[in-house]
Amino acid sequence: MVRALGWLTAVGLLVGIVMAFGVAPREVTQGNVQRIMYVHVPLILASYVAFGVLALASIVYLVRRDAAADRVAHASGEVGVMFVGLGIATGSIWGKPTWGTWWTWDARLTSVAILFVMYLGYLLLRGSIDDPERAARYSAVLGIVAALDIPLVHFSVYWWRTLHQPPSLMKPGGFTGSTSILWPLVVNLLAFMLLYAYFVARRVRVLRAEAEAAA
Amino acid sequence: MTADNWGFVAAAYGLTAIVLLIYWRRLAKQERELEALNRSNAERSREPSSSGLPRPEPSSPTPLQRPGAPRP
Repeated sequence: MVRALGWLTAVGLLVGIVMAFGVAPREVTQGNVQRIMYVHVPLILASYVAFGVLALASIVYLVRRDAAADRVAHASGEVGVMFVGLGIATGSIWGKPTWGTWWTWDARLTSVAILFVMYLGYLLLRGSIDDPERAARYSAVLGIVAALDIPLVHFSVYWWRTLHQPPSLMKPGGFTGSTSILWPLVVNLLAFMLLYAYFVARRVRVLRAEAEAAA
Repeated sequence: MTADNWGFVAAAYGLTAIVLLIYWRRLAKQERELEALNRSNAERSREPSSSGLPRPEPSSPTPLQRPGAPRP
C-alpha cells in the first residue's frame, strides 16, 4: 500500500515538473522565474493540510488517549515543518528577483515565519520530554493552539497591506488566471498532497516500530 | 522584456529536491535500523536461556511488576 503510494507520488511529481516547465507558459511580467510558483504554492498549501491533520489528530488523542492518533500528529508535524520551511525558502528565492529583497517583515511573511517557529517548537517540545504520555499530551495542546495561526497566515494578505500577492487558488471567486497556468498548479498541488501522505505513512510506520522496540 | 533568472528557478527546485531526498533517505535508514533491531530482539527471545527455563516474553511483566506482588 505505502509502496504503491510512493510510486503514485513519484509519477505525480514527474508529471508536475513536466507541466511546470513544458506546459505552463512564460509569465508576461515576471518571466520564467514565476515557475517557482509551481513548487512554492503546493508546499505551503500541503503544510496547511499537515498542520490541520496534526490539530485533528491531537484532539482525537486528548479525547481518546489513542497512541495511533499521537503518532499521526507527530509525523504530520514533522512533514509540515519541512514543507513550510521549504515554502519559506522557495518564496524567498522567488522574492529576490521579483521584489528586490530576500525577506521583508510584511504580514504574510511574518505570520508564516511565526507558524514555522511554533511547529518547530512543537517538535522540540516532543523531543525534550522523556515520558511519552506527557510528551504526547503537552504537544497535542501546543499543536491545537498553533493551528490558530493558519487562518491568520492565509487571510493576512486581505487584512493588512502586504508586499505578498493575494492567494492564487484559495480566494473568493476561485482562480481567475489562464487554464494553462491553473492545470500545472493543480497537478503539482495533488502531487505534493500525495507526497505528504506518503511521508506521513512511512513516518508513522517508523514511530510504531520504535514504540514496539521500546516496549 | 523581463530577465528570466533561471538561476533562481534552479535554486528553488534544486533545494526542494535535495531536502525531500534527504528526508526520504532518512526514513528508509530508520526503517532498516528498526527492522534489524526488532529481528535481533525476536531471535534473542527464541534462544533457550542458560537455566533451561523458557525466557519471558519481552512485553510480559516481571514478578515484581505483576499486580499484588510485594513492593521492595
